[in-house]
Amino acid sequence: MKDLIRIRDLSVRFYTYEGVVHAIDDLDLDIRQGETLGIVGETGSGKSMTALAILRLVPYPGKIESGSIVFCDRDSGGEVELLKLREDRMRAIRGNKISMVFQEPGAALNPVYTIGDQISEVFLLHRRQELGRRARERVDNLLNDGNGFGAGLKRPFWHWQSRIYDKIAEEPHALEPRLLSHIPLFRRLLWRLKDEASLLTVDMLKDVEIPDAARVAAEYPHELSGGMKQRAVIAMALACSPELLIADEPTTSLDVTIQAQMLELFRRIKADKGASVLFVTHNLGVASEVCDRVAVMYAGRLCEVCTVEELFLHPLHPYTRALLDAVPMPGKELQTIPGALADALNPPPGCRFHPRCPSATPLCQQERPKLKAVAKDHMVACYLF
Amino acid sequence: MTDWKFTARQLVRNPLSLLGIIIIVIFVFIAIFAPLIAPTPESHQQRPYMIPRDGYRAQPEPPSEDHIFGTTQGQYDIFYGVIWGTRSAFRVGLVVIGIVVVIGILLGSLAGYFGGIVDEIIMRITDVFLAFPALILAMAIVAALGPSLNTVIIALTVVSWPSYARLIRGDILQVREEDYIEASRGLGASSARVILRHALPNAIYPTLIMASLDIGAVVLSAAALSFLGLGAPEGYADWGQLTSFARNWIVGPPGDPLKYWYAVTIPGLFILFFVLGWNLLGDAFRDIFDPRLARR
Amino acid sequence: MELRSYIIRRLLLLIPVLLGVTLFIFGITMMFSPTQRAMLYVRDAKQLADLPAVIERYGLDQPFVVQYGTWLGQVFTGNLGYSKVVSQPVSDAIIQFLPATLELAIFATPLIILLGILLGTTAAAHKDRPLDHGTRVAAILGWSLPTFWLGLMLLMIFYGFLRGFLPPGRLSVQIDLLVNAAPFIRYTHINTIDAILNLDGPVFLDALRHLVLPVVTLSVVNVAFIMRLMRSSMLESLGKGYILTARAKGLAERVVVNKHARRNALIPVITVSGYVFAALANGVVITETIFNFKGIGWWAWQSAINLDISSVLGFALFNAVLFVLVNLVVDVLYTRVDPRVRLGQGVQ
Repeated sequence: MKDLIRIRDLSVRFYTYEGVVHAIDDLDLDIRQGETLGIVGETGSGKSMTALAILRLVPYPGKIESGSIVFCDRDSGGEVELLKLREDRMRAIRGNKISMVFQEPGAALNPVYTIGDQISEVFLLHRRQELGRRARERVDNLLNDGNGFGAGLKRPFWHWQSRIYDKIAEEPHALEPRLLSHIPLFRRLLWRLKDEASLLTVDMLKDVEIPDAARVAAEYPHELSGGMKQRAVIAMALACSPELLIADEPTTSLDVTIQAQMLELFRRIKADKGASVLFVTHNLGVASEVCDRVAVMYAGRLCEVCTVEELFLHPLHPYTRALLDAVPMPGKELQTIPGALADALNPPPGCRFHPRCPSATPLCQQERPKLKAVAKDHMVACYLF
Repeated sequence: MTDWKFTARQLVRNPLSLLGIIIIVIFVFIAIFAPLIAPTPESHQQRPYMIPRDGYRAQPEPPSEDHIFGTTQGQYDIFYGVIWGTRSAFRVGLVVIGIVVVIGILLGSLAGYFGGIVDEIIMRITDVFLAFPALILAMAIVAALGPSLNTVIIALTVVSWPSYARLIRGDILQVREEDYIEASRGLGASSARVILRHALPNAIYPTLIMASLDIGAVVLSAAALSFLGLGAPEGYADWGQLTSFARNWIVGPPGDPLKYWYAVTIPGLFILFFVLGWNLLGDAFRDIFDPRLARR
Repeated sequence: MELRSYIIRRLLLLIPVLLGVTLFIFGITMMFSPTQRAMLYVRDAKQLADLPAVIERYGLDQPFVVQYGTWLGQVFTGNLGYSKVVSQPVSDAIIQFLPATLELAIFATPLIILLGILLGTTAAAHKDRPLDHGTRVAAILGWSLPTFWLGLMLLMIFYGFLRGFLPPGRLSVQIDLLVNAAPFIRYTHINTIDAILNLDGPVFLDALRHLVLPVVTLSVVNVAFIMRLMRSSMLESLGKGYILTARAKGLAERVVVNKHARRNALIPVITVSGYVFAALANGVVITETIFNFKGIGWWAWQSAINLDISSVLGFALFNAVLFVLVNLVVDVLYTRVDPRVRLGQGVQ
């Protein structure tokens, strides 16, 4: 399978009042086309930051220090270096080619706009051409079918509208419609764009199995349940059929029953749309259900990357093994990982897991183990292998 | 108390709050050493707060060796007025804030802790006072009681206590719900003891600090009342009054429109810097205490 | 329907507050002896000669409750006493002087709101960069400026130094004569609006020229206030999850700030706009006094320094009622802006 995203030597640092935090340290990771890759780790392991770094949305005072993230566009076949892209080009990718679903659906939706408004916004931003085309068709139909006195009066107006929508359909940022949209009263000429966007929005909401989609589109976030909100957020992320969907703990804040529905939804999305999914989670159980491959992170570094079967059948890295032992299962005694998560400000030298590792050697304390392939589709960063 | 160390370090690191501290220290210095900076003339020893005047002519005189900031309308010495006015400012500010804080703590903690009918009564009373724009109520009170420095203090106390009582009530309400209060009550501590030993200190330090920094605002209001002619008697060392003396001398004679600039500018600058000092400090504290903009 | 019952409920809640306000105002007058209070009603020498008759007539020696009842009845019928400064009833004086003050407010309020919101948004969007520090220092400075001194300084520069460029008062003498003469119809007594209705350019310009300095003086403190509030409110809003969502959609930073963050940040600003009204009311007294701008603030000042108690208290009562109503409007507005608010229940 071909790669969709190639991350090389990615480092993200936070310049805080207390000192510099190495949130991500020389990370190499590939996301393949059509796969679901899970990133698993504890809170503070840098898994969410990796997701944000791909979109170049690392929050202040964090900074992408170095590295490269190459996006191999499946549609056009071209390769772009995301970290060197101009900001406006990057914006054209966000929400369009790469989109993201956040942990807390309640916080991810703007409380003062309706669900419909917030999803339409994505279409109006990235699908202007299509909206223009559809609006034009609608006006043209009116021009062809319109009869009688009223239609006769409106005809010149329709002609004008048709021309503007035509411009938008050809070139989404053409001058004339852009100027028009800034002139009060005249910008009403463009209302059909919003109408078309709302139609697409309702379709999108139906697609994520929201019942009564038209009504939900007109509602405000606080009027919906947590599961419905998360569906709306997913609809927003899927609006432009992205090639990569990043899901940051999308089920953590939901009830278990809703969680299961949501995982089912993710599986279906992948099957239907063929998009890649980057699934960030701290829950190995959830990862096992949706992911093809899993990357395990600890204190800003990768420990192990392998297929989900390998992870559960042949875990290699001591941290991965400890993580699996910490999953509660009936009939098994629960193991905890000794020690605390590495101090982000003063991380231990060498392998960051060595203070908590049962099989640490003096070498582990001095030098950082490199990520190396030990079998097909199985990489691990540990001196034991 | 690492928190206090952190706060102190933040204040000194931030150039604005440092400037505020410096300004306040200078004013404290001026107030303490006023008799040395602007010695009271022999003839005035009985009433040092009355500004000595050099004649009775209305027209202000420009700065000279005798009057380094010049004289204002009625030949009152501006330098003496602003230096001793610092003392008046501190007096009004400290007295008002002191009384207001005591009333605020008393009524606020009563309302916040006991709740119910006590809370209801106290809060409805604050509602009544807060229904007036503050300066207008103060103006009405001063006019009714007859203008003097003391009535200004009374008026400003009357208009400002309700908001502090409310703030402290809010603090107490917030803390009352917290676990350690429950815990100490569970251990058998009496209500009063719980309030005094636990709730009060934890809840109201930030409020008290912010209140003390309101001295600037209180002095500004007092100056405004004085300026309107509703303050200290004529000739009393008071910045607001000195500014009001300049009202008739804003425009100089033809050809020299800024002739009396010193009479207009100097007293106002003292008020501005005094208030600015407290506000700079207050702004820094607000950032530190604002949980929404938590430190990073 | 829901809105109407909410408003009615809020109006009912106003009754105890307004009773308290009137009780307080009346309490102040009761500090004076009946004779002193009789003086408040005296309008001519004949009444002055027969004070006991005045006391008798107004029941000034009755028990407190009776007098309060009588007084409250008078207040309800619009009788707030007699203003000696302008030799007319207090209620007439308020009606006479209100248009000038309204004119100030008409110009100052939009300026305060727009400038405050704009500066606050800009500062927050540039957090910890020079623009932020600059606006912040300006805000603290504006917040610390004594309004009365600012007025004098502005007059010294724009009236004195620039030779009458922006004068005090409401209108120049010649224009004032023109306005009060036959062809000019005074619809509202708000000069600028009347000038527009009369299509009179010179009057409009003259009125505008007199308005600049008072409006600026009145606005500075409030712009600083709104700006500071808007900045911290914006900073809070910009840290929310939906901002990250908006950025992840690919929206330009301009849209993220001006649409997604600002709409939310405005909610707390609206809740305090009642305080802006209070600050304006306070500022009007000082501003009108300095600029000899004859509105109710100027009248209140004149009454205060002449110890015309009934006028000052009437003015205070008028302001309190207005302030309480403004707060009611603000609360209703708040429920319109924040979709999460169910009427009378607060944020869910």
